[in-house]
Amino acid sequence: MADSPEQIKKHIKLYLLIGGALFVCTVLTVAVAKIEWLDFGSRGFGTADMVIGLLIALFKATLVALIFMHLNHEKKLIYWLFGFGLFFAVCLMLITGLAFSDPVEFEGFFGR
Amino acid sequence: MEIPYIVEPRKDTGLNNSKIGIWLFLASEVMLFGGLFSGYVFLRIYADYPWPERTLPVLPGLINTFVLIGSSITVVFAWVSLKLRQWRKFQIYMGITIVCAALFMVLKGVEYNAKFHHQAIRMDDYTVIEGHSHKQKNAVGGAHKNLNIKAKSLTVSLSRVDDIYFDVLDEQYSKAGFGLANDVKLTDGTVLEQGTAITKELIDQAKKDFLAALAHNSNINIELGRQAWKTVKSKHPGVKYYELVGDQTLKGLVDEELKKLKKDADFKAETPALNFVSNEEALISVNPYWGRLSNKNRGKAGRLTLKDDTSIIGTIADSSITINVDGIDFRHTITKAEEKGIPKDTAIKNSWLLKSNENMREVWAKHKVVTKKLVEYLEPKGKKPTENDIYRINWQEIAGLADKSIEDIEKLDHKEIEALFPGDIEGFAGPVHKKHGDPDSKGVAYPEVVVPRAQVRFESVFSPRWNTYYATYFTITGLHGLHVIAGALVLAYYLFFGRKMYEEKPEWLANRVEVGGLFWHFVDLVWIFLFPILYLM
Amino acid sequence: MSDSHDDHHDHHNPGFLQKYVFSTDHKTIGLQYGLTAMLFLLFGFYLMMVMRWSIAYPHEPLPAWMGWLFSEDWKAQWLTEGKLPGETYNMFGAMHGTIMVFLGIVPLGFGAFGNYVTPLQIGAPDMAFPKLNMWSYWLYLTGGIMMCASFFLESGAAKSGWTNYPPLSFFADAQYPHQFWTGQTQWLLGLVMLISSSLLGSVNFITTIINLRAKGMTWMRLPFFVWAMLVTGFLLLLAFPPLEVAGIMQVVDRMFGSSFFQPSGLYHQQLGLSDASGGGSPLLFQHLFWFLGHPEVYVLLLPAFACVAEIIPANTRRPIWGYKSMVYGVLVLGFLSFIVWAHHMYMTGMGPAVSAFFQTTTTLISIPSVILLTCLLISLWGGSIRFTPAMMWACAFLPMFGIGGLTGLPLAFNLVDLHLHDTYYVIGHFHYIVAPGILFGFFGGIHHWYPKITGRFMSRKLHHLHFWPSLILMNTLFFPMLIQGMAGFHRRWYNGGDAYLSADPESTNVFGRTVLEHIDLNIMMSWSAWLLCVAQIPFIINLFVSWKAGRKANSDNPWNACSLEWATPTPPGHGNFIEEPIVYRGSYEYARPEVEDDFYAQWRKPVEKVDED
Repeated sequence: MADSPEQIKKHIKLYLLIGGALFVCTVLTVAVAKIEWLDFGSRGFGTADMVIGLLIALFKATLVALIFMHLNHEKKLIYWLFGFGLFFAVCLMLITGLAFSDPVEFEGFFGR
Repeated sequence: MEIPYIVEPRKDTGLNNSKIGIWLFLASEVMLFGGLFSGYVFLRIYADYPWPERTLPVLPGLINTFVLIGSSITVVFAWVSLKLRQWRKFQIYMGITIVCAALFMVLKGVEYNAKFHHQAIRMDDYTVIEGHSHKQKNAVGGAHKNLNIKAKSLTVSLSRVDDIYFDVLDEQYSKAGFGLANDVKLTDGTVLEQGTAITKELIDQAKKDFLAALAHNSNINIELGRQAWKTVKSKHPGVKYYELVGDQTLKGLVDEELKKLKKDADFKAETPALNFVSNEEALISVNPYWGRLSNKNRGKAGRLTLKDDTSIIGTIADSSITINVDGIDFRHTITKAEEKGIPKDTAIKNSWLLKSNENMREVWAKHKVVTKKLVEYLEPKGKKPTENDIYRINWQEIAGLADKSIEDIEKLDHKEIEALFPGDIEGFAGPVHKKHGDPDSKGVAYPEVVVPRAQVRFESVFSPRWNTYYATYFTITGLHGLHVIAGALVLAYYLFFGRKMYEEKPEWLANRVEVGGLFWHFVDLVWIFLFPILYLM
Repeated sequence: MSDSHDDHHDHHNPGFLQKYVFSTDHKTIGLQYGLTAMLFLLFGFYLMMVMRWSIAYPHEPLPAWMGWLFSEDWKAQWLTEGKLPGETYNMFGAMHGTIMVFLGIVPLGFGAFGNYVTPLQIGAPDMAFPKLNMWSYWLYLTGGIMMCASFFLESGAAKSGWTNYPPLSFFADAQYPHQFWTGQTQWLLGLVMLISSSLLGSVNFITTIINLRAKGMTWMRLPFFVWAMLVTGFLLLLAFPPLEVAGIMQVVDRMFGSSFFQPSGLYHQQLGLSDASGGGSPLLFQHLFWFLGHPEVYVLLLPAFACVAEIIPANTRRPIWGYKSMVYGVLVLGFLSFIVWAHHMYMTGMGPAVSAFFQTTTTLISIPSVILLTCLLISLWGGSIRFTPAMMWACAFLPMFGIGGLTGLPLAFNLVDLHLHDTYYVIGHFHYIVAPGILFGFFGGIHHWYPKITGRFMSRKLHHLHFWPSLILMNTLFFPMLIQGMAGFHRRWYNGGDAYLSADPESTNVFGRTVLEHIDLNIMMSWSAWLLCVAQIPFIINLFVSWKAGRKANSDNPWNACSLEWATPTPPGHGNFIEEPIVYRGSYEYARPEVEDDFYAQWRKPVEKVDED
């Protein structure tokens, strides 16, 4: 079993390391938003800031999920169960987005 | 039979029940927050007003992120300690986790509190001003921004009158000396005499009487209706209500019959409303969310209608909002101006705020200098200031430049100007105002503006009401906060009541802490996304 | 989550409260769910009967037998001269829909049948989390009572349709000072409770099915019932949270004045310009609602399908036809049901690309549905059918569901939907599925498992008195709706089209004589509805009287069925099985040559090997 005391002892360092990485990443996110020379593209909030911010958040979330929540050595079934949730959440967002972004152009439909 | 696989995993799935359960629950939580995030994304993309970008103070959010990440680490170590059978260590780590949760909620509370005491007004020309509103000179009942009317007469709708309004307004009513405008005869023969003072008992008595009369009459109506249909139908069997009998529909015949029947029926008189008049015009002052004024022009005749249909007639009194301005936003003004083809600068210059207030003109003039300096600073780097930079004045700027003159600012460059602005620690949860009427108190004396009600398009504190951004902010963080509390309660239960279980079945407790920990990590994971999305974007 | 305490020894001598009220036993909870749900169904039925009076006889006061449930004051406030005004009709309509869907069918199918049968069929002693199961029921009851009790509030109950679309729902009851104490808000809070209850339930079900299967119960040996429950569980688990969110957002809109779903510049004739900030999106609510709404249809349907799939093989004495295709069909159905939702929203101005997408997925989802139905139908072929009461219901289910399903197909197409949207056609379509379809499946299920629950059979005479009138009246009630709908009758006319009535074909009224030609159907439908209520009386009598006085079942397996629930003692005690069950084969092994009986039960030890070919 992966959860035997010996193996857990081995993991302690890893947990601390990941914790440190999370702190560093958090500081990095704020730095990207606040510090001027880290301002990508144009001044102020822009697409680059959004993408970088979300990527860092995604990275952090992955660390938490993989290491703290032990998804790195979890049973296949759990991947399926949780995966369904993620998949349909993405479906909800994407397809709703599709619907929002494709409204009937009444002018085109009926002429002016 | 015992329920199997509570602690030890089932062979073919390799999992115990609670592990599957919590992951399923987390999957549904993903959908829950997925729905909220979708809401946020679409409200933001399709917003028809300038989205408030990066307006929250970052420091409390940042500290909260650290706190939650820290607690995530300690909860892992609490589990590790249980696995290694170190009870003492488990207690320490779990204790820290709970303290972190409490700290998180306290900081959240500080943030919320600052928002709930921060006023915003969207003017008629779409200029947005932010600041602190304080008691009006004529305020009644400690209100900040009440609707006021000098009342002469008052109509109470007996079917709709609501105690919560009446209880608060009772005092104002009696002070004004409202009395019945005319004799009111109740169905039981009692006469409420003209001039009887307005009291709750009076209203209750009349209301009871009215409802009784209503029920009585309704009963008669139903009975007569049934009779009429019966009579007519028996005369014309098989005819449907819309079919013609002679030159009239069946329904028409029934109506005639009904009219005949109603003539001799014993109906009781219904008194749906009571009218009151006052001896002299007296001030009535109510919360702006309780009702609305028929017009907003001070000194004109008008009516204040409360949500319970109480109608107060008189002269509109001063209902202006006094506010110490710590933020001005012209972004909405200029988008609206552009739709009409008005140049941006003209729109701003002609805004009520700049036209009517000397202080505001000065703030704007200073801001123009600040913008100029910013352009000078950015130009060599090939960058341009954003709309936020140009058309929004935030509290840091107003506070930092409060005692500088325009000439002073002209001498400085962009970096030096920015150095004047208060830092994150001074404005931990937002701007700090001097207490009204107490010049020695801490904080900044922000310039005061008196906004007449006629200029107010929409006003609110920074609550969910203000705009969809704050609605999303409060709803998501509020739900997240509930998750924090729930998670902390579960973990605290293991900490304080887990000892017995630890001695009997330590593996079981470890298993439960793991499951509780999974939930805790998920709460942390949600915050990891919330922090950049709400605070930094 | 893991609140499955080790205090089972407490249960050996439980008190009355613990045994019947705050029970953690899945069978008791199942019965609680069942009885509560049927009460709610009756109430929803009653609301509908009053509505049908207003449709058939819009100008006559309610008759005395219909008005007895109202108090004098209530009548004075909500009826005008004894007739149903539009606002009250809307209130009844909204609550009828909500009660039937959320408080009636879902708890009856998933809560009652699922709870009672699933653990028995997989050979588990109880649900994986018995306490959670109890909480789930009590949350459901609280939510349901909150919704229904709001009839007695000053504002009345919710009145914006079961879909509760803003901004309609935003303005409804907006004039009341206490937003908390209005029907609309109570509806939303009740809904949040119901969804929380379903979430707890679905976590419990899925865990139970995954982890508590008996020895030898492999996935492909599971009865179809369990598969259907598994899929239903996933639908509940993943489709409900978005509506929970939307409900919470609406509560915030109502109580804290936010504008999630309020667009800018919203104006109401009586209430004037909305005093909300605006900037929100009503369409967002529709998306979040229908993301739940469509999977919800399958949450209603699958338990009934599951019952029928158990009844048919047991009474045709042959294996179910195409078990594997049914299993894969139901999985595909579950998956697809998540991506079809916006076919309810063709009229909202969605663009052609998105409409095409949803049109495609919607027509695709009819494939697994048809596979399921066809498998059941072919299962009848060549069987030696015993027309037990349960089987009669199952047989009636097939064509009724067929009509319901097939009438839905035209609605999947954008262009046809433009004409049929919000007409009685839609009402006819989904009532065919829910009333004669799903309810018939449940009636069959009740007859099928009654001997296991009580040890007695339900009366056949009363069954016939119930079955035949129900079958006929359901059709005379719902088929005319399809006709009226195609003629353009709108589903929310509170006076059955009276306002559009015109005897003049040249009338400026858009309908001309159309309404006149179809309005008489209203009377037929209304009488069908009222007689249908009378037809349920034999069932109610049957349900309770047979409990004590029915014919005794002389065996634990009266239908000679194969699945594991029949291996338990009758009625099953706490912990269900006397000894741990071991499963040797699939659950539909009827008419096997190895054994002399015509069924080879799952738990029966294998007889000596016979060559299989």
